[in-house]
Amino acid sequence: MVSARYDGFPAAVGVARSRDKEGRLPRPSRRAVLAVAAIGLSTALTGTLSGCSAASGDTSGITLRFSWWGNDDRAARTEKAVRLFEKEHPGVTVRTSNGEFGSYLQKLATQAAGGGVPDVVQLDYRQISQYAGGKAIMSLDGAIKDRTIRTSDMDQDFLRTGTYQGRQFALPMGRGITGYAYDSAVYKKAGIATPQPSWTWQDWAKANKKIAALGMKSPDGRPFTGANDGGGNEDVFETWLRSRGKRLYADQTKLGFTEDDLTAFWSFLNTLREEGAIAQARDTVQAKSTETSPIGRRLGAADFTWDAPFPGYTALLGENIHFAPVPTTGGHQGTYFKPSMLLGIGSQSKHPKEAAQLIDFLLNDPRAGDILGFSRSTPPNRKIASRVAKTLEGPEREIYDYAQTMEKYGLDIPPTAPPPGDLAIQTAFKRIHQRMIYGMATPRQAARELIDEANRELES
Amino acid sequence: MSTVSTTRAPARAVRTTDPRQRKSKRRQVRERQWPAYVFLSPWMIGAVVLTLVPMAVSLYLSFTDYNLFDPPHWVGLRNYQEMLTEDPRYWRSVGTTMLYVVVAVPLKLGLALGVAMLLKNLSRGRGFYRSAFYAPSLLGASMSIALVWKALFNDGGTVANVLDTVGIHTGGWVGNPHLAVYGVVLLTVWQFGAPMVIFLAGLQQISPDLYEAAALDGAGRWRQFMSITVPMLSPVVFFNLVLEVINSFQVFTPAFAISGGDGGPADSTMFYTLYLYERGFTASHMGYAAAMAWLLLIAIGAITLILFRTSRSWVFYADEEIR
Repeated sequence: MVSARYDGFPAAVGVARSRDKEGRLPRPSRRAVLAVAAIGLSTALTGTLSGCSAASGDTSGITLRFSWWGNDDRAARTEKAVRLFEKEHPGVTVRTSNGEFGSYLQKLATQAAGGGVPDVVQLDYRQISQYAGGKAIMSLDGAIKDRTIRTSDMDQDFLRTGTYQGRQFALPMGRGITGYAYDSAVYKKAGIATPQPSWTWQDWAKANKKIAALGMKSPDGRPFTGANDGGGNEDVFETWLRSRGKRLYADQTKLGFTEDDLTAFWSFLNTLREEGAIAQARDTVQAKSTETSPIGRRLGAADFTWDAPFPGYTALLGENIHFAPVPTTGGHQGTYFKPSMLLGIGSQSKHPKEAAQLIDFLLNDPRAGDILGFSRSTPPNRKIASRVAKTLEGPEREIYDYAQTMEKYGLDIPPTAPPPGDLAIQTAFKRIHQRMIYGMATPRQAARELIDEANRELES
Repeated sequence: MSTVSTTRAPARAVRTTDPRQRKSKRRQVRERQWPAYVFLSPWMIGAVVLTLVPMAVSLYLSFTDYNLFDPPHWVGLRNYQEMLTEDPRYWRSVGTTMLYVVVAVPLKLGLALGVAMLLKNLSRGRGFYRSAFYAPSLLGASMSIALVWKALFNDGGTVANVLDTVGIHTGGWVGNPHLAVYGVVLLTVWQFGAPMVIFLAGLQQISPDLYEAAALDGAGRWRQFMSITVPMLSPVVFFNLVLEVINSFQVFTPAFAISGGDGGPADSTMFYTLYLYERGFTASHMGYAAAMAWLLLIAIGAITLILFRTSRSWVFYADEEIR
């Protein structure tokens, strides 16, 4: 959940799934920038070239375009896997292009408007409805049926996340889950038990108060609090809402919660903030990465976050940081496995078969699995996940075990992809929360404002 | 200017010659001109393809609902109506932008004029200071400087620390919705080099005789400034004012970088163009963004027109006197 808030602008558009191992938004390296520029140029050429080869019906000389976002580590691993694919499929050349999340989304949107979505494209959960609905990506049902793309080792419920109106448009590349990074030393000092999958929001509130009561100081001499204020984070709200048996969206055009729900959530956090139990407004507003989060600045003891960025916390803050479940309502967990990112095929692709083969290779080939590792969170293919998991240690082992624990604890099945307006609603959530914590609106006024704006987005 | 007069000169010459010869001369002129059009054609095609056509498309899109994926869908004046009557954020962005223009432009021009006055009489090291003050204008538009600025004004940054030591606890301007906009203002004001250089050129145009005569009549420094410098410089002031107002309405990069693109905290740096960008690229309402762009164009046009109208009463052109 952390990254949805933490990564500045790209976060505002849902970078939750773009997190890297450090939990930071990857800066595009010079190489990456050059690569994007080069590919920009070459797409114009290859577009015409691949057109020729398709006409001749020849399998050689096929060029696939594949674009994704991510950090350097992910880029290197993806390149390596792609080169292996090329070796296995002589005559097929894969032109890759990657970038930083925010600009990637905009570039892709512009490409989609011009009908030029790459053959194989990495998509965010929040893009699926828009791209599928706008016919920018094609249905994968055929490729799955004829087993060009194998899904037998994947969790069928989880595959639902890539569906739109009952058809599969994209396949998840990684399985992420929300959680809670906390400083076990501080928890011990305050006499708080290790958070269990069944701990409640009330337990969480009490824990925060206990920590605030310790009277610890941050390096700049300000009071140390229990946790970050998750109020501006749509993901935290969703977890809270789901733990109460509700949902963020009833369907593609309607919200699944009411003004009262949101008012209750924001009032609960408001009280805790006013009591000094959770992060203050100025710190919440500035928290855009692991480093600038309250826990990263040693202003707080815990942080709502996702599993994949968690290793970044221990790297920054030491071995005392552990990964715990998000609080529940009466033992009902609201978290669920969410696709960290998905793969689709551009609807204008001239080589859908080869594109499908590439997707299958990236998702199901054990060698590709070894190369890609956990660079996009837990691989959705269970066999590959358990194979790669054997090599994990430290914080990566911890998040893997966490996912196993949560699965056993029992989670609801994930919802289908959120509606197209969700990108805008997510940023509105953060912004309106900021207005509230700076006293420009009461929790109820803020909730009203969010719902009005969300309804406008969902209608249009 | 010189090009205008040279092209005119032969035209006048043609008119004075024998009417029978005129036609052939005109043809000669035309024959002489075609290479010019050939060489100009890339730019003329560019102007049409890259400027006029996109403008027309943008105007069309402003009357549609367009999310980049589905074909644009005609909604008439719906975007304009929503903007003006239903969207509180639109008016907030207008307010923030106006505040910014009203605060930043006078500050920047005042500073530019002040420093230009100081540099005018400097005999040694003038080149150095002029370059030093001009440098920020060259760097200022870049993302990197805005990021440095962000670091300076962030919580725990230099500005917050300095203010802390003198007992003013702001906790960083970037995270404070009441102060964030002034961080952007300061970044703009700091880039006063361009108007300063223009002021400096203007100051050097003023004849020293005027000051000498005024001094002989017993005018003090202030009197000289008000009665000679200000009126003689008013065309330059006007030029800088128009330019800065137009630029300020379009402020984007500093706010984008300092707020991380979201206009935050709590929309306090959500300038008009940033909101336009957000509507278009984050929320995928391209039609709405296009409508916003057209209203901005109209607003800037109207304000420039008003400035030109009022300028008649306060801008003094020396040659008016001579005529």
